[in-house]
Amino acid sequence: MTNDNRIIDEHVGELLSGYIDGELTQQQRQRVEIHCDTCAECRQDRDDLTALRNDIGASQLSQYGEDIWRENMNDTTVRASRGIGWILFIGGVLAAAGVGLYEFVIDSSIELYAKLIIAAIYGGLAALFISVLRQRLAERKTDKYKDVEI
Amino acid sequence: MRQELAQLGGGAHALAIQILGNVDDAADAVHDSFASVLSRPEAYDQQKGPLKPWFLRVVRNRCLDMIRRRRGDAVPVEQLADPSPNPEERAASEQRSAMIAAALATLPGDKREVIVLRDYLDLSYAEIADVLGVAQGTVMSRIHRARLALKEALGSYDE
Repeated sequence: MTNDNRIIDEHVGELLSGYIDGELTQQQRQRVEIHCDTCAECRQDRDDLTALRNDIGASQLSQYGEDIWRENMNDTTVRASRGIGWILFIGGVLAAAGVGLYEFVIDSSIELYAKLIIAAIYGGLAALFISVLRQRLAERKTDKYKDVEI
Repeated sequence: MRQELAQLGGGAHALAIQILGNVDDAADAVHDSFASVLSRPEAYDQQKGPLKPWFLRVVRNRCLDMIRRRRGDAVPVEQLADPSPNPEERAASEQRSAMIAAALATLPGDKREVIVLRDYLDLSYAEIADVLGVAQGTVMSRIHRARLALKEALGSYDE
């Protein structure tokens, strides 16, 4: 058997994929074509893999279209600005609460017992608020319907 | 850039589904990638190549980060399949899509990934090497092995 014949007789293996994808050199392409002319097995593989490639190309592996992603991107901007808004709002509220608390503590015109009662009322409200907020945040993580529009 | 990114969203989502094994997590990964790219658009250097492979690399890295965070890369394969409960009622092409998705779900992650990059997203071998961070010389053999595995998996679905 000559060297050329041995090359033609050897199965072309991964070169088939390179051939289908148009990624081979001229010499490699010729080798695949010559081999497939005489090898029914590789010819069948070539045809099957070509059909498979076409099927995958024509399939729908994501159900989300371009419009959804465009909205999704806008949502990114909206979310970012909303995040900044929340940070500013919470920062302002905390600063105001801090100043108010400081003024309240140093205010000598209010009796100590009155200060303790008012502190208990506001402290209780804050504790209740934090408790509800934590519960809502925990639920939100597992809520499957949070994005459903009514 | 926004227009081009929106066009890439569907393909990026398909890739992320194959890596993460979950449609919703994949959408989150693409969303986070959009946010990351849009907050620093200067990170993309047009001189270094087209946006598509660059953005897919961003999405892939985001997916790998998510996998690392959830400590483990075990993919619940049934989630990769088309969730349609009644394939008989769907058109022939949709049935084929469902079968391909189901067959892909039986393959390991690296094979699913390379098939989507080549056959679904139509990237060249050089672009695939760039996205995966591997030598270009290894791409052809990876694709071939992945296609043979998918062909075999589809065979069992066809029967």
